Amino acid sequence: MRHLAIATAVATSLSAWSASGAAAQTPVDYPHKVVTLVTHSSPGGGSDVFLREMAKHLPKYIKATFIIENVQGGSGARAISRLATAPADGSVFYATTPTYIYTSLLSKTQHGYKDVEPLVNFFTDSEVIYTRVDGPYKTLKDVIDKAQSSRGRWGAANPASLERQAAEQLKKAAGVSPAVVSHEGGGDLMINVLNGTLDIGIGEIPELRPQLEAGKIRLLATFDAKRMEAFPNVPTVKESGYAIALDKFRGLAGPKGLPPAITRIWDEAVPKVLADPEYQKVYRTESLVANFIPHDQYQGFVQNFGTVTEAFLRENGVLK
Amino acid sequence: MMHSLGIAFDLLFGSPIILFSIAGLIWGIIGGSLPGISASITMALLLPFTYGMAPVQAIVMLACTYIGAEYGGSIPAILIRTPGTNSAAATVIDGYEMKKQGRAGEALGISLWSGVIGSLFGLVMLVALTEPLSWVALAFKPTSYFALGILGLSVIASMTNGSLLKGLAAAVVGLMISTIGTDPISGVTRFTFGSPELLGGVEPVLIMIGIFAVSELMMQSGSRDIGGLREQVKVRLPSLNMMNRLKRSQFIGCLLGTFEGLTPGGGGSIAAFLSYNEARRWSKEPEKFGKGSEEGVAAPETANNTVASTALIPLLSFGIPSSNSTAVLLGGLLIHGLLPGPRLFEQNADVVVGLYLGSFIATLAQIVVGILLLPVCVWLVNRPRAYLAGFILALILSGIYTLNTSLADLGIALGMGLVGYLMRRAGYPFLPLILGVVLGHMVESSYRRSLLLSGGDHSIFLEDPIAVGLLLASAVFVTLSLVREFRDARNAKLKDAHA
Amino acid sequence: MTPRFSDNLRNPSGKTSSMTDRTAPKDLAGGLAVLAIAILYYLFIGDIAESSLADDVGAGGLPRILAFVLAGFGVVLVARAIIEGALARAPKPIVATAPSRDDDPIAPLPRALGFLGFGAAYVVLVPIIGYLPAIALLIGAIALFEGAAANWKTALIAAGGAVGYWAIFVKLLGVRQPSGWFF
Repeated sequence: MRHLAIATAVATSLSAWSASGAAAQTPVDYPHKVVTLVTHSSPGGGSDVFLREMAKHLPKYIKATFIIENVQGGSGARAISRLATAPADGSVFYATTPTYIYTSLLSKTQHGYKDVEPLVNFFTDSEVIYTRVDGPYKTLKDVIDKAQSSRGRWGAANPASLERQAAEQLKKAAGVSPAVVSHEGGGDLMINVLNGTLDIGIGEIPELRPQLEAGKIRLLATFDAKRMEAFPNVPTVKESGYAIALDKFRGLAGPKGLPPAITRIWDEAVPKVLADPEYQKVYRTESLVANFIPHDQYQGFVQNFGTVTEAFLRENGVLK
Repeated sequence: MMHSLGIAFDLLFGSPIILFSIAGLIWGIIGGSLPGISASITMALLLPFTYGMAPVQAIVMLACTYIGAEYGGSIPAILIRTPGTNSAAATVIDGYEMKKQGRAGEALGISLWSGVIGSLFGLVMLVALTEPLSWVALAFKPTSYFALGILGLSVIASMTNGSLLKGLAAAVVGLMISTIGTDPISGVTRFTFGSPELLGGVEPVLIMIGIFAVSELMMQSGSRDIGGLREQVKVRLPSLNMMNRLKRSQFIGCLLGTFEGLTPGGGGSIAAFLSYNEARRWSKEPEKFGKGSEEGVAAPETANNTVASTALIPLLSFGIPSSNSTAVLLGGLLIHGLLPGPRLFEQNADVVVGLYLGSFIATLAQIVVGILLLPVCVWLVNRPRAYLAGFILALILSGIYTLNTSLADLGIALGMGLVGYLMRRAGYPFLPLILGVVLGHMVESSYRRSLLLSGGDHSIFLEDPIAVGLLLASAVFVTLSLVREFRDARNAKLKDAHA
Repeated sequence: MTPRFSDNLRNPSGKTSSMTDRTAPKDLAGGLAVLAIAILYYLFIGDIAESSLADDVGAGGLPRILAFVLAGFGVVLVARAIIEGALARAPKPIVATAPSRDDDPIAPLPRALGFLGFGAAYVVLVPIIGYLPAIALLIGAIALFEGAAANWKTALIAAGGAVGYWAIFVKLLGVRQPSGWFF
């Protein structure tokens, strides 16, 4: 295995040398031969796929072998513990999503999101508001109008999730009070939007893709800050007049006290990975929006996300 | 259709689905042949191993284990008068008689052949009925799901083993376990005691392994060896003439197996006994029953294998487990994040087609594997229990650890083993508790969702025709079961008085 | 013809339990246990947070109903056991159950707890001594507990079994089993 890794490394550097173009890359040296990327998702789950794809393309820019470790259970709490107790030398990282913030806030975990150090951000997932095509709603305004005149029925995929938070924020911003119903994940929610039980649902593109392609679902708006590349005709919620934008982030975090030498390598390498045409092809089909946030800003970003979320949960009594 | 064929082709030649189906079959026959290890326990023991597999491999393996266990159970039933699984209990009557007449090999051959017929018939029913039924589920609203959950829970009335109250109490405890974790509507935590391990609730898998397998081991502790299989037996498949004579009883087995598989609360053992009785009623030689009738082996063995396939119909289309074994299979689906219903057929077509295909392979392979495996089963049944018990517990503990690599999970399973043991001793039935655990979440969350949608108005349940139909069905079902239950109890009392 | 397990759906032979002579004290204990579970469960309902994201039923709604229903069942079960116990004072002849060799094995509580104890000991020991020795000890100890002779054969089977499991789980399936201080 190691021989193979060396052989590939030699091969890539040779080809880089022979190409002699500016575009060619030599992977940056890294203090560890093997880097472990921890995720709380099961093999085949969201974050697991994200890491496995990334691990294929990272070695072009960082000279190391990346292996994935699935530490499941406890909605991410065990994975955070695994990370918080690992050496802070750049050999172990964890795939972050808003889940780990919610989990550390909702349970008295031994290690919380404040015990680990955000490294850099890679992507933002697009969150959208959607309805069924043969339903009465053509725009977000129609939905809000309905909620004003009678009892609106909105759906979110999970309780105490970013989608639920978005629905509550939209309620407040629009001054309406529809029922917001949580479901057992995106698929369950979609069925209830399709059969007319709900006016709208809030979810992610990958879950909706089969029905979108079948022409059964209409996208009304996106919570992204900018319009989505793949759906340029779908307005943002902000454009519709409600100042809400969501960042369902995907990035990496490490144990507290990462050496600056390490974070510098990642700060330089990640934008290049994200610009890699092969990788772009993969993540664009998943409707992931590249959103690189360097180390010094990412810590503030995650802290801020945590503070906002905590305030939301406290305000609504979910947290005591 | 072409699409399904394409998937089937891919599965058959692109991935080792055959391997998983045969492996499941082998495991099922071996587990089923060990007295004390029922089909559901055999499947529960396999659950942790399926965790790392692709979903289609896992489900195929579990379903084929179910098929194999139904045949395996008849081996000790025929040879040592001890059914390996519940549903082989009816086979004992004529199977053991045949063995006493020196026709053990013939009885095993009939059991095997009838199992193949039953599985094939059940499989046809499964393929024909499941998907159309599941499309009904697309129109299901929270109100309908609530009613469906109630229908599932109404099964409890039919399996209370003489004490309705104990069954209901067990169901409530199951419902209580289902409330552990994150609240489905508001997201606050309930009964987690601050432990992140419990945020997602207690995994039904741990409860099943504990209640079925660990408690059985505890129950059997100190009992003597099963043993008693001394002679050499060779399976003898029925001749064409005999096949012809068995047709009638097998037809009865197929019909009753399908009926019981579809009904919540049905199951292999009831189907086997019913079809034994009906086969005797319609037989040309009813006097042979009880004295080594070939039909008396064929009918129950056809029925219990039919159930192994048809019980998947309500499971796949609605997510309602109608027996212990399908409850375990539901656990297997949930491990892989597969929710039964129409979306399963749309988004996980490979799993469904693979399941059909794998079951088909296992059904055919049963004849060969069944014959080849007989000496192994005989050898295993003759092992001293002292060693078997340790090996099985070691398998359970190693297997559960692979689920989440968490020692806490082992503690939960052992704890549930104690609960199961105490329940057995005090005469409390298990399945109500299991049903409470797997259906509680659906009942609670869909009830609350319905009220949320209607603004607290209960009339929303009456506005949904599906919900009304299902609730009526549950009411009829509960009434019928209770009537039967009271009649049985009265008869038993009368008998006691006469004795 | 009694099937060997009590977890089947309905007693297929249609025979209801004929052990009336011994069920009353067991029913009393069972009823008391049910009552205790209901009370314990009820006590922890207070820990559930009130959330404005909740519906009218609320996160505590169902648990409260369940606790009361179960408590009700418990009271009835206890009452019934006491009444039946009083009625059954007069000794009834034990109804002979048909072929006795088919009866369920029923281990007494201390024996069953002893068996479970080996499982518990494994959970405690495995992070200290490691997977391979712990499994060998488990198989060996249970074999002795279940009446195997304490000889080299038992030791060999335990060691062989442990190696077998290690090969299957760790080598073949690649599952990380707990590692101890030595292994």
